[in-house]
Amino acid sequence: MGVKGDLPGGGTSARSGGLLGTGGPTFLTTKLDFVVNWGRRNSLWPMPFGTACCAIEMMASAASNYDISRFGMERMSFSPRQADVLICAGRVPYKLAPVLRRIWDQMPQPKWCISMGACASSGGVFDVYSMVQGIDTIVPVDVYIPGCPPRPEALIYGLMMIQEKIRQESLSHHFELRDEDPLSVARPRATAEEIVGLTGPFGNSTQQDEIAGGVGVTGPAEPTDDPTP
Amino acid sequence: MTDHVKDGLDALDEGPRPSDAIAPGPSAPEANRNEHPSVAALFERFGRSVVHHEVVSGGQHVVHVEPGRNVEILTWLRDDPEHRFDLLADVTAVDLGGGAPIQVVYQLFSIPHRRALRVKCLLPLDALEVDSVVPLWNTANWLEREVYDLFGVTFRNHPDLRRILMPHDYAEGHPLRKDFPLRGRFSRAEQTRRALAQDVDRFYIPAERAVGREPQEVFFPESPEADADEATRDET
Repeated sequence: MGVKGDLPGGGTSARSGGLLGTGGPTFLTTKLDFVVNWGRRNSLWPMPFGTACCAIEMMASAASNYDISRFGMERMSFSPRQADVLICAGRVPYKLAPVLRRIWDQMPQPKWCISMGACASSGGVFDVYSMVQGIDTIVPVDVYIPGCPPRPEALIYGLMMIQEKIRQESLSHHFELRDEDPLSVARPRATAEEIVGLTGPFGNSTQQDEIAGGVGVTGPAEPTDDPTP
Repeated sequence: MTDHVKDGLDALDEGPRPSDAIAPGPSAPEANRNEHPSVAALFERFGRSVVHHEVVSGGQHVVHVEPGRNVEILTWLRDDPEHRFDLLADVTAVDLGGGAPIQVVYQLFSIPHRRALRVKCLLPLDALEVDSVVPLWNTANWLEREVYDLFGVTFRNHPDLRRILMPHDYAEGHPLRKDFPLRGRFSRAEQTRRALAQDVDRFYIPAERAVGREPQEVFFPESPEADADEATRDET
């Protein structure tokens, strides 16, 4: 048995207790955390999921004026298999939701997610029949960047917050941080009550909702033809 | 809130009714038909089937024609050497709400004669059917699918009439109709659940983008036999 089995968070030692303890921080694990997190946070490869004007700002961030390569986002990874951080830049319609979810499911751990802009974070002004009201109902989000669209500085700040988050991680928390239920694939991230609670009508939609008799909020939630088994 | 807006909202609240209850008068007065040579010829040839003619937006000539004869009239407009409306720029629809008939709009342009014409068919809400013009202009295929998807107008003899913008299993109706609630008919939770339950593999197959590949029996097969057909087709 090599070192792998003895490292906390690797092999079985985090549960059974190896040379380095049962998960509490020790001198060795903190030094190892430092090295691992240093490597992770300085080689974040973004998976760009750009659907709207936020993607223009994301491209500007990658171009030479702002140049997120300076922070280790050296390469925009257009394959989710080699990506570390998903940047969802722009509005996501319901028709695109399974695509976003599949890309997230395809990304290997460890992975992080940035919701860039008002539309990705909350639906923005698109409080309409076709638009996802915040991608946190689809995938878990680490950092929300406000703005419509956010400037490249804001995106870089968001990425630096991801880096800060990585810096504070510890391998002894590996199983909690990387917990992922395979059965939750293609299931909404949030519960039905959470989604309804978070996506109440606002602004013009309030009036529209009253006109429609509130069917957009509480109405016939269950269709007759259920597509899922 | 002005009375005008309030009346419009009340009409929305009640939803559409069959248009026999109201007389949907033409919005603009009858224009001089001799300003546009094609309009004059249309009146001469089709007489009472051309219901109305108006000029909007400073020079855009609009004719309302009988829905039952739309293909006949459009064929003549396309093929007659004096008119030659060979470009179908757009097919769209207008729902004015309050039970008014839905207008199907054909935006024509004649490249040889540098001439534009807008042809409208008014369909009452209880008979949303009109003949397809795909045999005349192939570009009408997707445009009519869009009108079907968003307004619920059925195009007879369309080769592949199914939804194009909304998901194929969308069950909430036709979103651009005035009686459609802005946020949809289902709760957000149900919409999210249905969205994630979509079968992405089946929906985004390459054949979805292929035109003229006998699409209608390949897409969304319901039975295992149809699945097998699809597999053999991909192998060949």
